[in-house]
Amino acid sequence: MKVGESVKAIIIKELKIMVKEKANFFFLLLMPLIFIVMFGSIFNNTDDASLTFHVVDQDQSTASKAFLKQITALPGMKVEKDSEANLQQQVHKIEQGQQDSLIVVPKDFEADLNAGQQAAIKLYQDPTQASSVAPIESVLNNITNQYREQKLQQTLVKMGQTQAEATQALKAPIQIKDVNTTSDNVDYISQVVPGMTVMFVFYIMISMVRRFFKEKESGLISRIRSTSIKPYYYLIGMWIPFVLTVIAQCIVLFAFGHWMYDLKLGDLTAMALIIICISLCGTGIGLALSFLVSGETVGMVVTQVIALAGAMLGGLWVPSYLMPDFVQKLGHFFPQFWAQKALQDIIVHHAHVGDIWKSLGVLLIFAVLGFIVAIIRFPRFLRSAAN
Amino acid sequence: MKVTEKMSQRDTLNSHHSEVLLEVNRLTKMYGKVQALKDVSFSVKNGSSYGLLGPNGAGKSTTMKILTGVIKANKGSAKLLGKDVSKDQAIVSKYIGYVPQEITLYEQLSAYDNLIFFGQMYGMQGNALKKRVEEVLIQTGLADRGKDAIKTFSGGMKRRINIGAALLHRPKLLILDEPTVGIDPQSRNHIFDMIRDLNRQGTTIIYSTHYMEEVEVLCDEIAIIDEGSVKAQGPLGALLEEFGKKAIYLEVANMDIPPELSEDIKVVKEGSGWILETEKVAETMKVLLNLAAANHWEVKQLEIVRPSLENVFLRVTGTALRD
Repeated sequence: MKVGESVKAIIIKELKIMVKEKANFFFLLLMPLIFIVMFGSIFNNTDDASLTFHVVDQDQSTASKAFLKQITALPGMKVEKDSEANLQQQVHKIEQGQQDSLIVVPKDFEADLNAGQQAAIKLYQDPTQASSVAPIESVLNNITNQYREQKLQQTLVKMGQTQAEATQALKAPIQIKDVNTTSDNVDYISQVVPGMTVMFVFYIMISMVRRFFKEKESGLISRIRSTSIKPYYYLIGMWIPFVLTVIAQCIVLFAFGHWMYDLKLGDLTAMALIIICISLCGTGIGLALSFLVSGETVGMVVTQVIALAGAMLGGLWVPSYLMPDFVQKLGHFFPQFWAQKALQDIIVHHAHVGDIWKSLGVLLIFAVLGFIVAIIRFPRFLRSAAN
Repeated sequence: MKVTEKMSQRDTLNSHHSEVLLEVNRLTKMYGKVQALKDVSFSVKNGSSYGLLGPNGAGKSTTMKILTGVIKANKGSAKLLGKDVSKDQAIVSKYIGYVPQEITLYEQLSAYDNLIFFGQMYGMQGNALKKRVEEVLIQTGLADRGKDAIKTFSGGMKRRINIGAALLHRPKLLILDEPTVGIDPQSRNHIFDMIRDLNRQGTTIIYSTHYMEEVEVLCDEIAIIDEGSVKAQGPLGALLEEFGKKAIYLEVANMDIPPELSEDIKVVKEGSGWILETEKVAETMKVLLNLAAANHWEVKQLEIVRPSLENVFLRVTGTALRD
């Protein structure tokens, strides 16, 4: 019998069984999707770093609109306008602690400016939220200063200075220069989609342990051994469907992140390679586990330990850089860390294959170690299946 | 079913066999310190139906697993067509069909898909395999249920497909390990018919069971196995002749006490009559007929009791066949 035919027969059989096992869909797809949606909806809003200004414009003049436009022109600033009719309601919200502040542009704002008088802007604020209101107050002061500088410049020009001399005179003695760098800091979706994907990839180990033990305990392995297939072809035939399952699982979860949360997938070649390596790694460890543990229950417990410890220490739940130094170092011993690192490098930092080779290598080492253990333990597993 | 009927059914089985297909020689198997088999030897002739009779734990399944290459014996050999099965898995997979005691099928898959899979495991493929699967579905009486998942089948139907999976490659030797455990009489009869048909068509059968009546119905040679060793073996008739008790059954209307007979005749109450155990059957029968005529007995039943396998088992193992 040709090797390919016998292995293909087992692969097709296993894929059919997987499709008919509803529990697989739950653990490998539905659960991670629920986690992504849940964490995504909770934390996605907290990722909105813009500062919101609640405003009631009683003047509705060109000057008041120009003033508010200056706020929105600043990066990360957002104005939410409310009608005058809602003023009392807005103030009540502050009193109830539901809103930090409210800016009111009074009715004579433009008239006062044109008359050269000081135009007042009211800032209602919750005194217990001083730290939240301080940036708003600071932005308002900054805009007010710009008005003052304009006024000063006009005065200097009127006093006989040129425009350039007036500009030079008002130039700040200190200049702040922007230097853009990269950081490990990622938005939550770039954390949660790869994080939950990697975490649930390792739950394939439960499916593997369950399938191998079912084959063993039902006597199927003994029966198959009386046929012409060689034991290691059987092993390969049983393993490949799990590899394919994990690849499909990753594709579905990342596609979901892309369409639902606009997750940027970066270099797709690099992404494909890391998914293949993650799949080999997860299923390699799963194979080893299937032939190491004494029973299905033990297998499930060990899987939980590997999946959850790896998720926690490998930075799947919270970014590694937020964890204590020794925990970060401990995380390096888990494949989940390397998988997450490579995925975030691709997604956030636009890494390519050459940039993630270290992670690919580490994952493959875990996979190879898993296979070696599996090959050593497999004959014993077969013997126990026969008795 | 009366013993005489069982014997006649057995006699109809194919008995044109003389060539030895399988030669088992002093098989010994240890599981740790537990000795599962002790010098088990027997031979199976081509075209015969060979029964392995023994209680659970006697060593029948271990023997079958060694014959099918699933496990290795510590000592001894099993040769199929002169080739050692432990050294030549190819000959096992080519010539042997193995039906394990457990129902080893994929519950989620259809009967058709299961048979296709096991056919592929025996090296079959393409249209030849599909055609053969259709044939086996007909053979098992489940052609109309081929597309249904195994989990929707009754125990008996599962057992039939379990046997069908071992028939796909047309084995020369079919080994069945307790194939009727836990099924209804109708399915059991269907399985018996299948086995008889296969045997008539030339397939050699090794049938393991702890049901004596199955061996009596299906097998023309048997080995009684207990505690890991063969206690007796040979053609069923010869075993019954050698180890079975000879007796007469007598039932007379309105007779509450047995007739007085020679002291070497053992009398045992059985139903409404008596079993009279004696080595001199013809002589005792004559005496009874004379007594009946002289005393005007109203004889309801007077017949020679054929020796039973139960007696044989009791004689060779010293115990009744236990579950």
